[in-house]
Amino acid sequence: NGAAFSKLRGSQSGQDSTRWHVVRKFLGLISSHNIPVYLIDPLILGLVDKDIEQIRSSPDGPSPECKYFCAPRDFTTFALLDKTWKHEVGFFRSAEKMGFQWLKIINKDPRLDGMDDLSGMEIPLHYIFKLASHAIHLVVFYERSGNFLWHGPLRLKQHVDRKFVPFRKLHFGRYPGAYEKPELLLVSIDDLKVQIPKNPSSFLEEMSHSRFLECRYREARAFFQLYPDDASVDAVEFRKKAKSLLHLAALTLNNLGVKFWLSSGTCLGWYRQCNVIPHSKDVDLGIFIRDYKADIIPAFQKAGLPLKHKFGKVEDSLELSFQGEDDVKLDIFFFYEEDDHIWNGGTQAKSGKKFKYLFPKFTLCWTEFVELKVHVPCETLQYVEANYGPEWKVPVKTWDWKSSPSNVQDNGVWPIDEWDNVIQIY
Amino acid sequence: MDEWKPNPAVKPHKKRSWYLAWKYKLMNQRALRKLCQTGAVLFLLVTVIVNIKLILDTRRAAYEEEEESAQDYDDDMLNVEVPRHPVNNKKVLDVEVYSSRSKVYVAVDGTTVLEDEAREQGRGIHVIVLNQATGHVMAKRVFDTYSPHEDEAMVLFLNMVARGRILIFTIKDEGSFHLKETAKNVLKSLGSQVAPFLSWRDMWTFVGKKGGEVYGEKHAKSPALSTWGDPVLLKTEVHLTSVEDAECHWPDTELNRRRRRFCSKVEGYGSVCSCKDPTPIEFNPDPLKDNKVFDVPVAVIAGNRPNYLYRMLRSLLSAQGVNPQMITVFIDGYYEEPMDVVELFGLSGIQHTPISIKNARVSQHYKASLTATFNLFPDAKFAVVLEEDLDISVDFFSFLSQSIHLLEEDESLYCISAWNDQGYEHTAEDPSLLYRVETMPGLGWVLRKSLYKDELEPKWPTPEKLWDWDMWMRMPEQRKGRECIIPDISRSYHFGIVGLNMNGYFHEAYFKKHKFNTVPNVQLKNVESLRKDNYETEIHRLLGEAEVLDHSKNPCEDSFVPDTEGRVYVMFIRMEQEADFTTWTQLAKCLHIWDLDVRGNHKGLWRLFRKKNHFLVVGVPASPYSSKKPSSVTPIYMEPPAKEEGAVAVPAAEQT
Repeated sequence: NGAAFSKLRGSQSGQDSTRWHVVRKFLGLISSHNIPVYLIDPLILGLVDKDIEQIRSSPDGPSPECKYFCAPRDFTTFALLDKTWKHEVGFFRSAEKMGFQWLKIINKDPRLDGMDDLSGMEIPLHYIFKLASHAIHLVVFYERSGNFLWHGPLRLKQHVDRKFVPFRKLHFGRYPGAYEKPELLLVSIDDLKVQIPKNPSSFLEEMSHSRFLECRYREARAFFQLYPDDASVDAVEFRKKAKSLLHLAALTLNNLGVKFWLSSGTCLGWYRQCNVIPHSKDVDLGIFIRDYKADIIPAFQKAGLPLKHKFGKVEDSLELSFQGEDDVKLDIFFFYEEDDHIWNGGTQAKSGKKFKYLFPKFTLCWTEFVELKVHVPCETLQYVEANYGPEWKVPVKTWDWKSSPSNVQDNGVWPIDEWDNVIQIY
Repeated sequence: MDEWKPNPAVKPHKKRSWYLAWKYKLMNQRALRKLCQTGAVLFLLVTVIVNIKLILDTRRAAYEEEEESAQDYDDDMLNVEVPRHPVNNKKVLDVEVYSSRSKVYVAVDGTTVLEDEAREQGRGIHVIVLNQATGHVMAKRVFDTYSPHEDEAMVLFLNMVARGRILIFTIKDEGSFHLKETAKNVLKSLGSQVAPFLSWRDMWTFVGKKGGEVYGEKHAKSPALSTWGDPVLLKTEVHLTSVEDAECHWPDTELNRRRRRFCSKVEGYGSVCSCKDPTPIEFNPDPLKDNKVFDVPVAVIAGNRPNYLYRMLRSLLSAQGVNPQMITVFIDGYYEEPMDVVELFGLSGIQHTPISIKNARVSQHYKASLTATFNLFPDAKFAVVLEEDLDISVDFFSFLSQSIHLLEEDESLYCISAWNDQGYEHTAEDPSLLYRVETMPGLGWVLRKSLYKDELEPKWPTPEKLWDWDMWMRMPEQRKGRECIIPDISRSYHFGIVGLNMNGYFHEAYFKKHKFNTVPNVQLKNVESLRKDNYETEIHRLLGEAEVLDHSKNPCEDSFVPDTEGRVYVMFIRMEQEADFTTWTQLAKCLHIWDLDVRGNHKGLWRLFRKKNHFLVVGVPASPYSSKKPSSVTPIYMEPPAKEEGAVAVPAAEQT
């Protein structure tokens, strides 16, 4: 019936049954080897999303026309969770027997890239299966600490046929990416049974900001060569508390759906030494003011973090500080976007003086930090340099937030009549 | 100038290890001196050319994507195919073998494959095995046949080498003192004419094919007891055979492809490489019903003892309920042969750059391995930690599957260990019985992720602290009064006799007679009674039922315990305060159990078996169980030997 179906469809103009055939063969191949792949092709998911109600309600219904898999494309993209299959050699044998040519792209395992020099076997990051004029791009996802999935970049090594597929057009592989573990749904589209993310639109949304940055472990090692790590009891204790405070803050903000990133000293710690700076004494987060929600304060209080102070107001220089366990403080700075820069504000409580910290424009990337998937500015170096100047690589123990930052500007004084509102200390 | 390697099909990580070996060699004084002698200029030229080529190759391998960070760029430097010598089509190998009092070396086609001129090291017969088709070095061993029993090990090794391999022998210093008839006959059967007459301080070199021709032999007799024979240098040629002839004709399966790769590279593993009837490398033990540890990662900590690792992995992969996908072998150093063993069994292996020395190095290797384990398996709540010199009991996973929920639920637990420090042949009896102990035995244990991530990892001893990781873990600052669960009969067996703190004598005295469970599917008894409070109830019940032994008798004598079976007996020893182990140590000594430090205690109570009776020892008055002592009984006190007598150095109390 598949053949009959395609005969019918293939004759229609602008449609390409080759693709449908290749996808069908590929799905047959993976199901005969019990390999659970799911569809992540953004173009198809975009189409599927429009019809999602209908597709959900008729999981087995025959399709009147070939709507999704017949648009002529060079490739179709699927995902594979690494831990769900056993790397059987037999699978590739069968693929070859069916006429597939395949290419495996391997590279170092980033999960071994911590502070020690470990070298494991290289891991497969991408597979490409080509049959006739169509290719299947299979992206391998790995579980990482922080309860998320990661896929690697696609980089070709020497001797690889650069024309095997139009690599530049692939939707995955330009950068590594981080994703939540998706809920899957088995659907029948174009008479093919295939797993898709249960909510295609949120998957597509996630995909658009999925870029992942690996911590700079090698530079961090070099840093610790120069400045040996503080292994004192106090340092160990502070790191432990900072880590649990960060976990709690991330949980609270994620539940509210508020996007945040590592800022100031916490960001510097990640970028410079892939760890919490033990003498920093607080945890710093950034939030775009457009993502501000009034629920933030009650949510933190509910999580056991009382408000310590609130400076500024939503319209100007907002800054919140919550009291964590034993003197460890959580500072949340709100960032205001202008045409050519981004800034956040500071307030000196006793004088009502205002300060402004300027940053070049940045976007957000995911990273892994203390077993957490969190955002950092993608343009981290510019961000850190704006804040700490060109000497950011040298640890400084005395830091005055009013004068030390290289991007600080005086920003006037709060009018006295506003003080009750913009300077609240608890 | 770089090392000649006839095998062109080398894996990427091997290339890396070659690269590092080459780097280390540069730093090595001795090698440097030799390189200088043989032409530093040439070397530099080659280095420059290789580097330029590397850079050019890397440039050419420019990525599809433009946005490349410098880091990625460098990464690929390591991944680039290192230009290699063209495949050597020559059919003849030039072999040079040198034997003398202070130095031996072997060179194959001008490449030094063995060089040993270290003082007070490497005495005895050095043996090298070459692949008869490729000339690749498959094994390198030294047998100190000046000392007893080493000749037996050599015979064992030579018997395991496949027919047709090329064997090279050379003596350094002295190799005949304990070279017995049997060994001499084996050498004779290989074609040596000199071996039967080898004597004190003779120098000797020999090259021959196992079961085939002799390529050369040279010998220099020692003229007198006090002097050595003159150095001998043997130069000869060896004719290579075709690859076809050098390999077995096993059916072409995935498993046999792994086997072939392994067997054409290394030697000395016996029947796994037998052409006729090779031993299996896949075991398919029965799965466990309701296996609670199927998804628990298993970290195997290994060094460069590939034969041990081979034995260990065989037993691990034969244990019921094993999940090979969860096993990772962590190799301390860039050693190829352990990695070959790992690949033979189709497991994943990770190499770790050495960053410290001795104990601290082991300790750093442990840390890196544990961190990596939890990174690779971020969902895991536990990890099983094993070492390369352990046999694993057939019911190892069954034992863990039945007990692991305790580690999850009972916060007063520190670990579950497969090893009972006091479980010797004569003191362990019941495979279904578990204990709680205040000491951490190691040697096959389960670590809770939260314990590692929240407590141990952040303050793990830094490389400059020369601490044993296990001693550190036993310190009160880390253990914090928590206990480990252990079985009466161990589920692991420590077979290693070559190790950092290990020698034959020590192994014989403390490990050889350890009891090891061989019964499959043992149903553990009363697991719930191991919870903190339940265990106290259980101990009180036991003590209530126990018969008090006759304290007027000598507890070291066999007659101290009646000739019964299946009874429970208790004795009371003097223990003034919590840390007073004077009498216990003397008792442990005379019972021939672990006495180098205190192990296996729970609140001043020890549990073991004597003559198949459960035997309880309570330290009075320190133990809270002292109240069970009848007032008529005087606790036994045993005096330590006077200090002067105890001056014999005892090996470090070490477990690993």
